[in-house]
Amino acid sequence: MSRWRGQMEAVLSSICFGIAPIFAKKGLMSGLNPFYGATIANATALAIMIFFFFFSGRGMRLESVKRNGLFLAILSGICNSIALISIFGALSIGKVALVVPISCIYPLFTLLGAYLFMKESEVIDHFTVMGTFLIVIGVILTT
Amino acid sequence: MNHSILLSILCAIAWGVQSIFLKMAMRDIPLYTAILITLIINFLALVFLIGIGVGEGFSEFYNISGSVYFYFMVAGFLNYFLGRTFYYSSFRFIGVTQSTSISSAYPIISVVFAITVLGEKLDLHQLIGIGLTLSGVYLLMMRGKR
Repeated sequence: MSRWRGQMEAVLSSICFGIAPIFAKKGLMSGLNPFYGATIANATALAIMIFFFFFSGRGMRLESVKRNGLFLAILSGICNSIALISIFGALSIGKVALVVPISCIYPLFTLLGAYLFMKESEVIDHFTVMGTFLIVIGVILTT
Repeated sequence: MNHSILLSILCAIAWGVQSIFLKMAMRDIPLYTAILITLIINFLALVFLIGIGVGEGFSEFYNISGSVYFYFMVAGFLNYFLGRTFYYSSFRFIGVTQSTSISSAYPIISVVFAITVLGEKLDLHQLIGIGLTLSGVYLLMMRGKR
């Protein structure tokens, strides 16, 4: 059941990630610098999350946050920001037809990272490797 | 090598490993705290960039029309809030590799939308791409079911 839930959540995230650029594209048609668009989008999500976080009582649990977890979450946020900034940078100087397919290979780095650093908790078998490669090649062809 | 290629590879590496760090972080901190932290870091990075002169400064926000704000707010809600919440939440139940690969199939959602709503037509290589992507998602979802 929990595996099914995880898979459905991943599919739902894919749907959300797939629909969002349609709205972003409509906003960018005004000629706005993408950094401003990303900032508005991020600020919206941050405001909703802060609201959700504190009004659901989750803010009270802040003291239970462990330093190691906090450090790793910050590291994840920094990587996220580097990804965001570098894709904008790449798009501003390069061709979309080249930049987008290259940036789509990120699941391969997750696969490699999981293999190297999370061997104890990640099951990486032939299905995982083949499935990941098929998706990456498929997405590159689609974009 | 072309700078845009290097930046694209950097983006792929950074986006690829951020999920590893987040899954490791979620061993010690709750899901929503982790998402909140990543959103704060992203926001600070963007504000910093605008502050140091990327774009036309903060005053540009006053010149953006209401409809453009609306489009980006919807995009932000879908991508950064809902999408990320589902994506990071799935780490609790399945592997980070499986989750990242399935969620990375999102371009086909955009393509399906373009066909059904905008009436666009697909090239042969795009059809093959959709087929391969769906096969990959199927393989990952069937993993461990045997």
